[in-house]
Amino acid sequence: MTQYLIRRLIQSVLTLFVISIILFGLISSVPGGIMSAYEENPDFSAEDIARIEAKYGLNDPVPVRYAKWVGNILKGDWGNSFVSKRPAIQEVKDRLPNTLILMGSMLVVTLLIAIPLGIISAIKQYSLFDHIATTIAFAGQSLPVFWFGLMLIIIFHVTLRRPDGTPLLPGSGMVTLGAPPSLGDRIEHLILPVSMLALVSAAGYMRYLRSSMLDVIHEDYVRTARAKGLRERMVLYRHALRNALIPLVTLVGLDLPSLFGGALFTETIFAWPGIGRLYFNAALKTDYPVVMAVLIIYSALILASNLLVDIFYAVLDPRIRYS
Amino acid sequence: MKSLKVLLFVMLAAAMILAACQPSQPAKPAEPSAPEQPAAEAPAEPAVDANAPVKGGTVIVGTPQEPGTLSPLLASGTIDDVISSFIVEGLVGIDAKGDYVPVLAESLPTISEDGLTLTYKIKPGLKFSNGDPVTCADVQFTKEAILSDLSGASTSGYSDIDSIECPDDLTVVVTLADVYAPYLRLFQYIVPRSAGDLATLDTWEYNRAPIGTGPWMVKEWVAGDHITLVPNPNYREEGKPYLDSVIVKILPSREVGMQLLGTGEITVLWDLTEADFPTIESMEGVDWAGAYYGSGENELLVFNFADPAVDAPADPAEAPHPILYDLRVRQAIQYAIDKQKIVDALLYGNVKVGSTVLPTGPFACPQAKSEYSVEKAKALLDEAGWTDSDGDGIRDKDGVKMSLKITSTTGNQLREQTEQVLAQMLKEVGIELVIDNVPSDVLFAGWDSNGLRKHGRFDILLYTTGPGTDPDSHLFSNYHSARIPTAENNGSGNNFSRYINEDVDKWIDDAAFNPNMDARREAYCKVAAQINKDLPRVFLYERLVISGYRTNLQNFQVSPGFADFTIDSQNWWLKP
Repeated sequence: MTQYLIRRLIQSVLTLFVISIILFGLISSVPGGIMSAYEENPDFSAEDIARIEAKYGLNDPVPVRYAKWVGNILKGDWGNSFVSKRPAIQEVKDRLPNTLILMGSMLVVTLLIAIPLGIISAIKQYSLFDHIATTIAFAGQSLPVFWFGLMLIIIFHVTLRRPDGTPLLPGSGMVTLGAPPSLGDRIEHLILPVSMLALVSAAGYMRYLRSSMLDVIHEDYVRTARAKGLRERMVLYRHALRNALIPLVTLVGLDLPSLFGGALFTETIFAWPGIGRLYFNAALKTDYPVVMAVLIIYSALILASNLLVDIFYAVLDPRIRYS
Repeated sequence: MKSLKVLLFVMLAAAMILAACQPSQPAKPAEPSAPEQPAAEAPAEPAVDANAPVKGGTVIVGTPQEPGTLSPLLASGTIDDVISSFIVEGLVGIDAKGDYVPVLAESLPTISEDGLTLTYKIKPGLKFSNGDPVTCADVQFTKEAILSDLSGASTSGYSDIDSIECPDDLTVVVTLADVYAPYLRLFQYIVPRSAGDLATLDTWEYNRAPIGTGPWMVKEWVAGDHITLVPNPNYREEGKPYLDSVIVKILPSREVGMQLLGTGEITVLWDLTEADFPTIESMEGVDWAGAYYGSGENELLVFNFADPAVDAPADPAEAPHPILYDLRVRQAIQYAIDKQKIVDALLYGNVKVGSTVLPTGPFACPQAKSEYSVEKAKALLDEAGWTDSDGDGIRDKDGVKMSLKITSTTGNQLREQTEQVLAQMLKEVGIELVIDNVPSDVLFAGWDSNGLRKHGRFDILLYTTGPGTDPDSHLFSNYHSARIPTAENNGSGNNFSRYINEDVDKWIDDAAFNPNMDARREAYCKVAAQINKDLPRVFLYERLVISGYRTNLQNFQVSPGFADFTIDSQNWWLKP
């Protein structure tokens, strides 16, 4: 097991290294970049542009830039954002709590919706409820999130009003600007973005739990439990559900890195100052120190969570042995 | 499974980056004549009056882009300059009409006979927001900061400064090594000595909370969310600003901003386009203010004189464009375009038809509007040998079809519509126009990034540009033959048409080294007239800088300079 772990760790580091080369190559080959901001400005002479380009190290060949970047990363320096000139890692740290709040709430709400619906759909397979839930799930999964988010804003922020004429729900940001901070205000701002995310991802989880539950219900041990004369509730929740949840736990585990990555569309539509939006804006401006910081941390988290899930498998399931 | 995930992830990242198509215009400081707003004068004297300013309140300004920095030394985007203008001021500035006016100086600088010495007088008693007095030493420091290694500012003019002397604290004597004709544009911002050490300019606290003389200062900046501005206690106008605070809120997009403006969640929305007129006019309690971009930002067509298949030729005569090199063809295209129809149909008649590179500002040189005549266009094309020999409705000559590509920025509805209208108009005279747009970062990419403008890989471009308050650098870089981007000059310059006219070169050179305003105006006027004869570009319509606002906000106006809507923010107040 120790040997296996060491091997996996080395593999992960190598994978991360390869990822970083690919990402750096892709970003460097994107046309345009930070210098286009100066090209059309009559105040900036060709000399100014050349000087600023040199200052950012953009006139070095790509391999040289990559080597410098890796060298700095190994020293713990992620470089400075081209746009804000602040350390890229600081930009990430500033947004991390916001993203965790949004994605954490989203996960809780998603599971609260998906688990009960998944169970009921499975138990009452082909019932009216199952058909309705399944239809909604497919609709939820196929909704274009961007459009859906805008619809939520138009309905709950623009059209529907409170008795005093103000919008029913806030349509952007994390808090009401200029108002004293309060928990209620925070929660109000969470409602629309969390609904949007939860409806879309709950659909997937629900379908997954439904089929896993259906598998389990037909297992011999469930029949045995019934034969023992256990009450149906007991059979379903103690014997079937517990086993049906294991694959869901894996799925959620693999999705955990996205808690860091944030939700690009949701954050962008609802002006949520999180990592997804930071990444989107940095990508638009080819601010590659920030883009690379977000992508590399995200990649590392994905690799780490894959490794953890594999290890947990070995711990949970005695049939799995790594050598 | 894992490798699949990683692959998917890389693809996602790539897709996002490639999707980096920003529907924004190349925006820029500029110039004059507010079309709609009467210049808002200082509000009424304190009196019992319904129109007397009310103190207090908060204005929330929405912007679809977050400033990167508020330091004028590092600013790289328009939004950086705009928000910075709430806080930072200079010895001179640009007023709502686009003219240079003194701000911290008592008057515009006086210039010596030989054009080499400028003298500024600073107003007495001025203080920065931290309480330090404004002195000549700060002007010296500003120049050193601009020229320092870490600066990202334009050094035009400043690099010509030989020395700055301070006979006393309030007198600034600038000695130039060479004549710098657009000298009025110098010192539009002042960086105080207390900003920090030049060796660490990149990491100054000043960059996110500048010390300035303007009405506002930064209280809080929550990255990605908002910036809160509060009144500068040392602001020179007694009792101003009227508001308690201005909050700059970072929005996801202009579309969301428009909804929030309608619901009143924001008071001001920065950077609208002419395509937003109908939405604005349909919303209750909302209006727009605009100014023509600094001396004539025009939405224009750029013709390529050279063969797009040849990489960046220095002289188009050696690799001429098979269709556009012929002046008669370019004339025919202009005759075929009904500019007024574009303005009426797509811009709701709210802007002026384009006619010259220098429509407004201190160097304005009005030219006759181009004529719309399908007959003349057809006659010119016939004369040039382009006929429809195969009867498919598109002219041809020696086996070459008269088909041209037009390239603009993706995601800009107005431009896409303009292109469709143009295609329709050109079809009338037998020219096929094929629309082939790219993201703005790709269109405006530099030489090293393989930019298509720089390398001359286009037929016709559609975008906005203009000369700024002083046309010197724009005319030089866009129309002078020394500014044709080639491998030899490492792609510097914006003469994308590869336009060569010796007279134009000479007039531009003469004006650049002549401090006499009248002589310069005359030279630039000749350039403007010649451009309309040679037609390297066709000016479609004059662009506006537009912001939307809730009508309870008083004294809101837009300036063509880089202060944009922040001009006069000390006089803003909210009507209850």
